[in-house]
Amino acid sequence: MEIEFQRVGKKYDSGQEALSQVSFHLQQGEMAFLTGHSGAGKSTLMKLMMMIERQTSGQILIDGVDLRTLSRRAIPQHRRRVGVVFQNHQLLLDRSVFHNVALPLQVSGADHEQIAKRVRAALDKVGLLEKEKFNPMALSGGEQQRVGIARAVVNKPQLLLADEPTGNLDPKLSAEIMNLFQEFNRVGVTVLVASHDLALVARMRHRVLTLNQGRMVNDGGFA
Amino acid sequence: MAQKPSQRGATRASVKASKHHWPTRSRFNASLYFLQHKTTLKESFMRLLSYPLASVMTVMVIAIALSLPGGLYVVLKNVQTVTDQWERQSVITLYLFPNLEDTEALALSHQISAQPDVASVEYISKEEGLRYFERSSGYEQTLSSLSENPLPIVLRVIPREAVDVTTLSSLQALRDELATKPEVEIAELDAQWLQRLANILSFGQRFSYALSVLLVIAVLLIVGNTIRVAVESRRDEVLVMKLVGATDAYIRRPFLYMGFWFGILGGVFASLCILVLSWWVSAPAERLIDLYQSDFQLQTFNADEIVLCLTISAFVGVFGAWIAVNRHIANIELQ
Repeated sequence: MEIEFQRVGKKYDSGQEALSQVSFHLQQGEMAFLTGHSGAGKSTLMKLMMMIERQTSGQILIDGVDLRTLSRRAIPQHRRRVGVVFQNHQLLLDRSVFHNVALPLQVSGADHEQIAKRVRAALDKVGLLEKEKFNPMALSGGEQQRVGIARAVVNKPQLLLADEPTGNLDPKLSAEIMNLFQEFNRVGVTVLVASHDLALVARMRHRVLTLNQGRMVNDGGFA
Repeated sequence: MAQKPSQRGATRASVKASKHHWPTRSRFNASLYFLQHKTTLKESFMRLLSYPLASVMTVMVIAIALSLPGGLYVVLKNVQTVTDQWERQSVITLYLFPNLEDTEALALSHQISAQPDVASVEYISKEEGLRYFERSSGYEQTLSSLSENPLPIVLRVIPREAVDVTTLSSLQALRDELATKPEVEIAELDAQWLQRLANILSFGQRFSYALSVLLVIAVLLIVGNTIRVAVESRRDEVLVMKLVGATDAYIRRPFLYMGFWFGILGGVFASLCILVLSWWVSAPAERLIDLYQSDFQLQTFNADEIVLCLTISAFVGVFGAWIAVNRHIANIELQ
């Protein structure tokens, strides 16, 4: 999936300006990091791509389609093409790992057979195949995050967004998670990871976008 | 998206393949659609079972609210059948002015019997009236002491229609018409009691309609409130579903089915209540009615009425859920 931001601004109703004049272009199949202090606008940028929020100025093109032209009814279809690992949208604790991962497929109306096959493939990918029947609560923090990733990729999205996916994980686990994203990127998925862990980001040697107070201050080089 | 599943997540080929039809709509698959509905129907029922006490209470409140108008309906239906069976020969009695000659009275009698809505006219002369009166009243002594026969000529007009609740108004019209004839002093239709009963019945009917409307609104509110709580308790799930691309219709569906279950179970219990209650009162009621009339059978909810009751309750359940869900799902937005 190809993403283009053209002088995008987002001003909340409260008057707070979360993003202003943000422009960048992510090629199909590219992987990039998004860094910046907390409050720099990383999450807002992700939300715009998910159409959780709408920009107040500028243009966002996804595969050449201006998001402003999509109606409310088109949002679900759009979201099915994007996998997300968001910090605050965690796993549902009233169902097993398997059913958590199956959710995006159920929502898009896949049949049981297909769901079982794809959920197991996704869990296998993140190394949790043998824990499909567990309740997420019985898993460690790193495992939970991997379940979230499995859920994000089970629908075979063309864009993977991750907001602080290594938030509370130790460096070793963080590196593992990052390697997972890299693997998805290797098979052609466009990946954008928001992280404030600059050391980790630097080691990954990918393009880095840096936000500061809602402005894109660095685009391109490694951090 | 319409692409074959590959064993492991996205591949370059699959990503390319799906790139060209954007924005896409998944193809409509009817059998899958019905399967989904069946699954949701089952799951929403299981969800009710997972909160048995709360569910039973809601269902019972709905059942009670529905059985009140249902019970009233059964009562009215029985009163109606009883009164319908009380159909009998109606008589309009015309008391003619006492100074009228026999010939004039006879002419009037012929004239009336020629009317199409009159079956026959019985002519009761002053003497016949006196004899009949003496026989039935026991005042022979008193009457024979009178120098003159005080009784008027009476015409007993038998209309073609028997008197019952439905024909009452046309019979009254006939009586009014006969009363206007100059020879007639008083015209009486022997159906005052029926008139009163008809009034009571129509009052009862209106009362039960109003009560039904109120209680149906109550059921709407009960279901709406229960669904609101259910939506609120599944807030996280709704958020995650929105995040992974669930349509509003998809999110709404389990709650609508929940409303459906509440409605239909409420309807089932309401019907049961009515059946049990009418069975319970049937023996004394039949004995009571037997005093006035033979072969009375208490009517209860029949199959059609049970089906109607379930249809209405299921519809009200879904509708109540619809209102609540639309209000509350819109409030749950990703942030």
